[in-house]
Amino acid sequence: MNARHIGLIAKKELRGLSSEKTIVFAVLLQVFIAMFSSFLMVGLTAMYDPEAIEGYSTVTYGVGYAGADSALIDEFAKRDDLVLHRMDLGQALAALREREVAAVVYVPDTPPDAEGPVTVTLYLIQNDLQSSVINVKIKEVLQGYERELREVRADRMTSFPIGLNFPESGGAENFFEFVYGLLIPLLALLPAVISAALIIDLITEEYQRQTLEALMSTPVTFVEMVWGKIAACVVLVPVQAALWLLLLGANGIAVGNAAAILLHASVGGLFLILLAALVALYYRERTSAQFIFSTVLVVVFLFVMAVPYNPLNLMVRLAVDTVGPVHWLILALVAGATALLGWTVTTYARRVGEATPAAR
Amino acid sequence: MSLASSIRTIAVWEMNRSMTTMGRNVLPLAAGLLVLLVLVTMFAAQSGVHMQDGMYHIGIDDPDVARVVAPDNRFAVDLADGPALWADRLAYDIVILHGEVYVADTDKGRAALTSLERDYEAYVSRVATGEPDLFAAYPLWIDLQYVKSEIDFLATQSGQQVGAPADAREPPISSAPVEAVTLPPSAMPVSEEGLRQHLAEARSGHPLSRYTTINPGGSTMDRFKTPSELSAPLPFDSIILVFVFIFPLYFTSQFFMMSVMHERVGRAGEALLSSPVRPSAIVIGKALPYFTIMLLVAAAITLFAGAPLTILLPLIPVILFFLANALIIGMAARSFKELSFVSIFFSTLVTSYLFFPTVFANTHVISIISPLTLVVLEIQGDGFTAAEYVYSTALFFATSIILFYAGTVNFREERLFSEKPLTSRLADFVSGGISRDHPHLSLFLLAALSIPFVFMVQMMTLVLFFNIPMPLSLVLLIVSAAFIEEFAKSAGLYAIARERPGFLTAKNLLAGAFVIGLGFLAGEKLLLFATLAQITESIFGSVLFLSLGVLWMPLLLHITGVLITGGFLLLWGRRAYGPGLVVASVVHSLYNLHFILGGLL
Repeated sequence: MNARHIGLIAKKELRGLSSEKTIVFAVLLQVFIAMFSSFLMVGLTAMYDPEAIEGYSTVTYGVGYAGADSALIDEFAKRDDLVLHRMDLGQALAALREREVAAVVYVPDTPPDAEGPVTVTLYLIQNDLQSSVINVKIKEVLQGYERELREVRADRMTSFPIGLNFPESGGAENFFEFVYGLLIPLLALLPAVISAALIIDLITEEYQRQTLEALMSTPVTFVEMVWGKIAACVVLVPVQAALWLLLLGANGIAVGNAAAILLHASVGGLFLILLAALVALYYRERTSAQFIFSTVLVVVFLFVMAVPYNPLNLMVRLAVDTVGPVHWLILALVAGATALLGWTVTTYARRVGEATPAAR
Repeated sequence: MSLASSIRTIAVWEMNRSMTTMGRNVLPLAAGLLVLLVLVTMFAAQSGVHMQDGMYHIGIDDPDVARVVAPDNRFAVDLADGPALWADRLAYDIVILHGEVYVADTDKGRAALTSLERDYEAYVSRVATGEPDLFAAYPLWIDLQYVKSEIDFLATQSGQQVGAPADAREPPISSAPVEAVTLPPSAMPVSEEGLRQHLAEARSGHPLSRYTTINPGGSTMDRFKTPSELSAPLPFDSIILVFVFIFPLYFTSQFFMMSVMHERVGRAGEALLSSPVRPSAIVIGKALPYFTIMLLVAAAITLFAGAPLTILLPLIPVILFFLANALIIGMAARSFKELSFVSIFFSTLVTSYLFFPTVFANTHVISIISPLTLVVLEIQGDGFTAAEYVYSTALFFATSIILFYAGTVNFREERLFSEKPLTSRLADFVSGGISRDHPHLSLFLLAALSIPFVFMVQMMTLVLFFNIPMPLSLVLLIVSAAFIEEFAKSAGLYAIARERPGFLTAKNLLAGAFVIGLGFLAGEKLLLFATLAQITESIFGSVLFLSLGVLWMPLLLHITGVLITGGFLLLWGRRAYGPGLVVASVVHSLYNLHFILGGLL
């Protein structure tokens, strides 16, 4: 293999990408998604952990209270963001429908030390963002009431949990786990998937457009051609991933060990690209190759996620800085597997190249 | 050959072709991969997801406490004696000494604390479930009831804050009629055994389990929860279902896109074009199998999810829209990689157009601009009226039909096999619709036909700017709406200037500007009659559709806009198109701004 030939092919493919402005589309997409970022942050965080949205609200909510007196009233009094209004149940529900109050609780006259349970009815507005916020707040109040009732009925219990004393958490909004535990590894993975789809396009195009013969008449060999395309795709992975990390940084999300994360993303990306190249060389037709590869991708992704110390997990650990030197070992393992796959691609490409490059 | 029979021939031929290219080698491997997928899923279910392992570092001095966090592999636990831990405390996010929790004062430490608190809750629940006296361990049960309430979209206009009531400290005075309600019974209608079983099935502490476990829902037992089981209702839960519908549709439309592309690669479609079949028959015949497949897939998912089949009705225009765009993209892309990128870009746009309004499914009238909102409503059992159906799908039907028409008109040799860049191909498509003999009539029609697209993009900006604070969102909306309209109006003129530079004289420009302005206004009027009555009443609507009031004023405005852009083109050539567009948009925005402010003050 001639490194200069590979470099030539890679440069040709990259130039093709920029002249077709496909990269522009990729960047536009990133900016477009970034435009939605505030919405996405709130929305996706809420999907990941609904209780996190409580931190957004600084408003005081009115809560309608109907039914018998109970210790629940005292629990509500401890909160300064919930104001209780005693009212009739029918009136309270009408006020809820008009959004004059944010929730209504109805408490029956069951005594605290009764044999059976105390069943509190909680009315909320259906399918509403505000209900999610109020739900979290009221949940905390109800948990306090539950603790109270448990104490009253403690003599009927047989075993007791270990006590832990938690400091006051302050109930601040909490993006941390979502951003570092999910968003960063997925964003680092995205460029790898895009590049893998790209290599399929590049290879199948040579076959389907019958431009292969012209390319083979140059001093470039078939294997060099394949590796040149692979090189072009691999280069894009760390560039795009770094762009994501920079965008995150611009939003005030500092990522630790960025270089190591990019290294993991590049090696993992190369693995996926080689896999895609293998599929493309086998089918030489875009529809089938893309179809098979997307299925392969799902299988690989599921498998990797189920293995402890997988590269995605390592990216999380690197981003939050809780990983020892063990990640170098994993990187070496993945790189080894990638090298093996690279050797396979080379051998297969040589075999394919030796057979006359037929049209299909 | 009649149209119907040639459509059938093409459709059958298309099916056979895709079956042979796909079938040969793909099916065995796909079957193998499916088996592999099942195996991997089983492995993943057993091993669990290891994405967030060891995110937090926790130091504990008591093995009993360590058992509390043991099930959660987000924590990397160090078990050591107290003084050693205290000396090393800076290396940990959390240290627990003698039952006292110490947290690092960082975002990470606070996140770790939240996770630990939940783990502790789960642990307390585990202990309590084993109690012989269930109602001593779980003395409090919550009966969760939901009440429906729709926000009036006009509420924002009168300055009322949507969300929290104006002053929560004041006792609410409701003017609404009070309905008689039956008081909830104080006795628990579910047996103790049932509750125990319910607790045993209860979820683990990890946030993602909400999506990995299937929630049957609906039974009386699930209505009753312990306080710690209360999880915030997601306004987005039914959205997951929506994605389940959209993704297969998108995937299938890819095959159609590829099939169109295939005709162009190496001039493979030449034989087809030289046959005595009309282009319309080719396009419809090729699209028909995919339309059928997509409909069948959607129906299968519907039946599988146990939803009513009526949700297919709002999905039909979405399917058509996907196919129409696949046709245009397949015809316009120069290479496979361009095809991939453009289709990814397009699908992101469409998905967000479909997805974001549905988030407000139950709160805003505006959400009905997405047909998927109708799907959500139907799944919830609320249903939709015929008027709502027309309202939310008209744009999709109109744009799909126009795109299909543009594709058919341009389904010709010189368009399909040219190697020009994407933008100039699209300009070719536009000029393909302009007749040489009646350019003014074509410009009129073009302007009228561009209206649905203009509305669609404006709707998109409306959704986009919706969560920005009020004065800013209004300004952004005015400017972007003006720009979009100016762009749509001048597109035809630009296409003509490109193809026939001699056409653009001062006289022709004046006449052209007049017909374009007229066509734009006519199209606007026509579509508005069919649809957007509800939105036009709100302040956002008055920004977008300002030109409804007096007729001659907007006509003049539209003509002026085209004249400005056209004048730039005439004087300084095609390079001046961009600046001309900007100037026209500024004039347009100033006009709109004047009317909005005049209307408000």
